[in-house]
Amino acid sequence: MSDLLMPYVLMIVVAFLPTEMWRSLAVYLSRGLNEGSQFIVWIRAVATALLTGVVAKLMLAPTGELALVPLWGRAGSILIAFAAFFILKRNVIGAVLAGEAVLIAAAYFSGAHFNF
Amino acid sequence: MDDAATETAALSRARWWALFGKGAFDALCFPAWMIALALFGVGSLARDVGHPIGAAMASTLFVWAGPAQVIFYGGLAANVPLPTIALAICLSSLRFLPMTMAFLPLLRGPTTTRFTELLAAHYISITVWTESLRRLPHMPRRERVPYYFGFANACIGLTTLSTGVGYLLVGAVPGPLAAGLLAVTPIFFTISLTAGARIPADWIALALGFLLEPIALVVLGPGFDLMGVGLVGGTIAFFVGGAIERRRA
Repeated sequence: MSDLLMPYVLMIVVAFLPTEMWRSLAVYLSRGLNEGSQFIVWIRAVATALLTGVVAKLMLAPTGELALVPLWGRAGSILIAFAAFFILKRNVIGAVLAGEAVLIAAAYFSGAHFNF
Repeated sequence: MDDAATETAALSRARWWALFGKGAFDALCFPAWMIALALFGVGSLARDVGHPIGAAMASTLFVWAGPAQVIFYGGLAANVPLPTIALAICLSSLRFLPMTMAFLPLLRGPTTTRFTELLAAHYISITVWTESLRRLPHMPRRERVPYYFGFANACIGLTTLSTGVGYLLVGAVPGPLAAGLLAVTPIFFTISLTAGARIPADWIALALGFLLEPIALVVLGPGFDLMGVGLVGGTIAFFVGGAIERRRA
């Protein structure tokens, strides 16, 4: 196979298909399900718990530059963002900026050795 | 409020595109930038393994899942065997099954075709999911499809561009800011999920996800931890949340 096409073929077969199969499968499995049904409430709770699990995982087992930020900075950014959301009367943008400010400050002042 | 007759009547073409535009505008007002920033780094990962910029951007357009793209390019960089990478991506993308199943009944109308559903499902990412679950229930059903496609296309379009910019700017971002870019995803997900929580089950699921993941990471390992957290946390949240609602009623 041509070297030019290889990156695209790999991306489709190794990354796209294993991801898209779940989305497509859901189209068939959710057939006939009603918006207000108890099953959908349960599925939504499963998805929500899974997604906050993703957040916890990203912060507990970080990759790249994030791994150089101390745990208190990583956990603190989530807690401050959460608190700011309610203090700022449910302002999403303000909350994200507050969390980011904590994280970048923690990265900057913790003395972590970044490669500039 | 629309009554049953107008609810199912077709939208005029002009109205359809107006709603599409409103969805795109709302996305570009903030949420689209969150994923665009989060996937900025994918471009540099693709460049590290020697793939062309077109493949990096296409990965955002097709895969449309940050963690899967990171596993893909990170795995290639570390010479992980391809079937192992595919399996890891398969596990990490399993979240799309419950997410898409919970989402589609919100979008589906009497005239929605299977093709529209498959296309709509492709755009599901955490940002599009949480924002749609928050916005769509307040809209008349027939207006949801054009709004959703406008919103989702703006997200994927802007993020495809940012993946390209990230590819070109590799290494130009100072360390603390690079850490900040990687933190956009967890911080924004937390706030977006919080903003979208409506019933007690949502709040309990939210809290349990955080609390159970550190345990699951040790007990189940990094492959099946999230599925365990979802099933255990979600099921507890469903029953406890339901009991709270019945007591209130």
